[in-house]
Amino acid sequence: MSQILKRLKVPPNSASLEEARTRTFEFFRMCCRSIPHVMEIYNLHDVVTPSQLRSAAAAEVRKNANITNPKVIDMLLFKGMEELMNIVNQSKQRHHIVGQYVVGNQGLVQDVSAKDRDASNFLKKFYSSNYS
Amino acid sequence: MGLGLLASRALRSSRIIRNSTRTIVSTPELKNADAAAAAAAAADAPSDLPKRNPVGGARVHLPNPDDVIEVFVDGYPVKIPKGMTVLQACEIAGVDIPRFCYHSRLSIAGNCRMCLVEVEKSPKPVASCAMPALPGMKIKTDTPIAKKAREGVMEFLLMNHPLDCPICDQGGECDLQDQSMAFGSDRGRFTEMKRSVVDKNLGPLVKTVMTRCIQCTRCVRFASEVAGVEDLGMLGRGSGEEIGTYVEKLMTSELSGNVIDICPVGALTSKPFAFKARNWELKGTESIDVTDAVGSNIRIDSRGPEVMRVVPRLNEDINEEWISDKTRFFYDGLKRQRLNDPMIRGADGRFQAVSWRDALAIVAEVMHQIKPEEIVGVAGKLSDAESMMALKDLLNKMGSNNIFCEGNGMSPNADLRSGYIMNTSISGLEKADAFLLVGTQPRVEAAMVNARIRKTVKATNAKVGYVGPAADFNYDHEHLGTDPQTLVEIAKGSHPFSSALKNAKNPVIIVGAGVFDRDDKDAVFAAVDTIAKNNNVVRPDWNGLNVLLLNAAQAAALDLGLVPESDKCIESAKFVYLMGADDVNLDKLPDDAFVVYQGHHGDRGVYRANVILPASAFTEKEGIYENTEGCAQITMPAVPTVGDARDDWKIVRALSEVAGVALPYDSLGAIRSRIKTVAPNLLEVDERQPATFSTSLRPEVSQKVSATPFTPAVENFYMTDAITRASKIMAQCSALLKK
Repeated sequence: MSQILKRLKVPPNSASLEEARTRTFEFFRMCCRSIPHVMEIYNLHDVVTPSQLRSAAAAEVRKNANITNPKVIDMLLFKGMEELMNIVNQSKQRHHIVGQYVVGNQGLVQDVSAKDRDASNFLKKFYSSNYS
Repeated sequence: MGLGLLASRALRSSRIIRNSTRTIVSTPELKNADAAAAAAAAADAPSDLPKRNPVGGARVHLPNPDDVIEVFVDGYPVKIPKGMTVLQACEIAGVDIPRFCYHSRLSIAGNCRMCLVEVEKSPKPVASCAMPALPGMKIKTDTPIAKKAREGVMEFLLMNHPLDCPICDQGGECDLQDQSMAFGSDRGRFTEMKRSVVDKNLGPLVKTVMTRCIQCTRCVRFASEVAGVEDLGMLGRGSGEEIGTYVEKLMTSELSGNVIDICPVGALTSKPFAFKARNWELKGTESIDVTDAVGSNIRIDSRGPEVMRVVPRLNEDINEEWISDKTRFFYDGLKRQRLNDPMIRGADGRFQAVSWRDALAIVAEVMHQIKPEEIVGVAGKLSDAESMMALKDLLNKMGSNNIFCEGNGMSPNADLRSGYIMNTSISGLEKADAFLLVGTQPRVEAAMVNARIRKTVKATNAKVGYVGPAADFNYDHEHLGTDPQTLVEIAKGSHPFSSALKNAKNPVIIVGAGVFDRDDKDAVFAAVDTIAKNNNVVRPDWNGLNVLLLNAAQAAALDLGLVPESDKCIESAKFVYLMGADDVNLDKLPDDAFVVYQGHHGDRGVYRANVILPASAFTEKEGIYENTEGCAQITMPAVPTVGDARDDWKIVRALSEVAGVALPYDSLGAIRSRIKTVAPNLLEVDERQPATFSTSLRPEVSQKVSATPFTPAVENFYMTDAITRASKIMAQCSALLKK
C-alpha cells in the first residue's frame, strides 16, 4: 500500500468543480482502501471497527461539504493526502489515531443523560465549561 | 613635601591632561557646549511652534486668573499658576524632564540633580524640581548644556551602581536603566572598585539590595510623609551615605509595599516576586481590589494561568497611586486551598468529587423538600453584585426572603443609602478640618482611607477624636472614650471635644461598620445623628456623616436589598446557601441543617458544608463591586478559572434551572439589566453615585445606648477573608508585623 502512495505525485489543479469532485471521491476511496492496513499497523482491532473509521473519514470529508472553490478543494485534498501519508507511513503513533479518529472531538466522557434533553442552552454550556 | 616633588607632580598632571584624548562625551557638539548653545540660540527663531500637550494628558486648573504667570519652555509660551516649579511648568508644556528624587506626591528633596535644565540669565543649570518658576522665565530643556549636565549626573550615579541588571528584578521597568539609555554616555571613565552597602532586612515584603541605591530618598520621604512611620532614614555622609532603619528593625507600615513602586532603581523590590518573572512577560489586567471596602484600583499582572503580582493603578478619587500591603501581597492565596471540583459529603463525613450535574441535582432536590421560610442565603464578603442579585432572585422564587450579606448585621438599614455609605467621598475627606471616628480603626479597616485622613491631618492640622478600643494611629488623635456613652456626652455638648467639632468648618464623622453587629446599633446611630445635627455636619454644601464599610460586597448588598426577613433566621434554618460566606456565625445553626457552600477557597464555610460548588475568584471573573463611598467598579478576568469551577452567578442560574425555577437571565448583560431595575447606581461604573436623601429621615428610636465598649472590627489586618487567610505571605506578615 505504501508503495502505491509513494508513487503519487501532486496532480495539477482541477479545472472544474466536477473534476475536484471526482478527485475527492478518489481520495476517499483511497482512505477506505488503506483502513485495513492502518488497523493492522496501529493495532486498532480492539478499539474500533473498520466501518467506524470509514465514517470518521467520511465525516472529515463532509466537514468541508460546503466548499465550491476548486482551488480550495485541491488544497484540502492535498492536506488530506498528507495526513493519509503520515498515517500509512506510521509517522504517527497509536494515541494520535485513537485521539483523532476513534474518540473524536466529543472526548471520552459523553454523559448525555436523558434529563438534559430539555435543558436550556445555558445549562448545556454550563455543564461543558465556564467559557462559551 | 619638597618643591621638586610638587613641580614634578604638576608637570605630570598637566601632561596627563594634555595627552588625554579620551572623553565621555559622545556627541561632538557637546565638547564645546557654550559655543554650540550660542549657535543654537541664533539658529532657532521660534516662528510657528507645533502645539504641545501636557505630559500624560494632564489638565491644568487655573483657580485664580490673577495668580497666573507665563513662562517659556523651549520657546513655547505656557501659562501656569504661581508657585509651580520649573519641572511642573515643563510638564505642562509637554516636556518630560528626567528625574529620580522628585515625586509629585512627596516633598521636594532636589538631591539627585538629574532634572537640571538651562534657564536663561542663570549662570549654572538649575535643578528644575526645586526651582520655583518665575514670570517670563525662559527655560531650555534640550540645549547642549542641559544634555551635558544630565550626562554628567548619569555618570556619577552609575559610578557606584552595580552592573547587575541581568539579575535585577527592576530590570525592564527601571528608571535608571531607561534614563541611562536615553541621557547617559555610552562609556564610563570609572575604573576603581564600586562601593558596596550591606542589605537591610525590612521584613517579609520588601527585599533590599542596598548597593543599587542611588540615595534619592524617595522611600524615606514616603515612609515619613505618607505612611507616617519614621522607620527609614539616611545614615552617613558623602560616599558613606546609606538608607536604613538606624537599628535592626522591620518596616511596620501597612503601606510599606509602595516603596517598591516609588524606588526608581532595584534597591527596594518585592520579596515575594523576587526572581519570579520579568515584567515584559506579564499580561496586565486592570481590575479592582476586593480585600477591603475601598476598592483600590489595581493592575493584576499574570503569566499564563498564574497571578504573578498586583500593582496599583492611579485613581485620584480612591487610592491615589498607593495600595495597602494586603492588596499588594495577598495574591499567593489565590493558588492555595482552592476548590476545583463539585463535592458532596458522604455518610462517612468525607468529601467526594462529583459532576456538576449530580451536585446541582442533589441541591435542587433538598431545596424542594424544605419549607421556604427555613431556607437562608448568605452572601460572602467577596461576592459581586451580579451573583448577589441572582441568589436573591433564586431564594425569592423559592419563597424565602431570608438572605443577607455577612458583616451587615441581621437587621441592616438598607432604606437610606446615606446611612451606609461614605457620603463625604474619600477624596472629599481632604477638605475636612475635624474628624470624629466612632468605633472604627481606619488603619486596619481601610488603609487607603486612613492614608487620606493622615494626609488631611498633616495638611490642615485637623483634629481627630476617636471613640473605641485602644488602637494604633499614625497621626495625632485624642482618645475620647471606649463606649457609646461618650457619644451621648458629645451629643449633649458636655464633652470637651464637642467644642472642637462645633468650631470646625467641615466636620466629618466616620462610623465603623463594626457597629452594625452591636445590639444597640440604632441608638448609636441616633446619637451620631444628634451630634451631626448639633454640629452642622450635614449641610447642603457639605455632608460629613459617613459609614466606613469593611468588605467589598457590603455596599452593593445593601443597595440590592439583601435584608433578612427575621433576624433569627439562622437559628431556625434547615437549608443554608453560603455564597463565599466564611465569617458568618453558624454555631446556632441546627445540626440537621443542609449547608451548601459555593466559593473558591476551602475555608471556614467548608467545614460545615454538605455540598461544595466551586466558584471563580475575583481575578477570574467580571463582576461589579461597590466601594464604601458608593462608587461601582468592575473587576476583569486576568486568569482562567481553576479546575471545574464556574462563575458565581452562573452557578446560581444553573441551580435555578435544575430546581425548576429558572431565572430569566442567562448572560452577564441580561443580569445587569435586572440589576438596573433594582439598583441603577450599580451600573454607573467608575463614577461615584452620592445618596439622594440624608439620614435625617430616619425614624426616632427609643433604644438607649449600652455601656458595652466598642470592639475592634478587624483583629488582624493581614487576614480578613478566605483569600488572605490562604496566603502564605499574609501569614508571615501577621506573624512578624501584627501589632
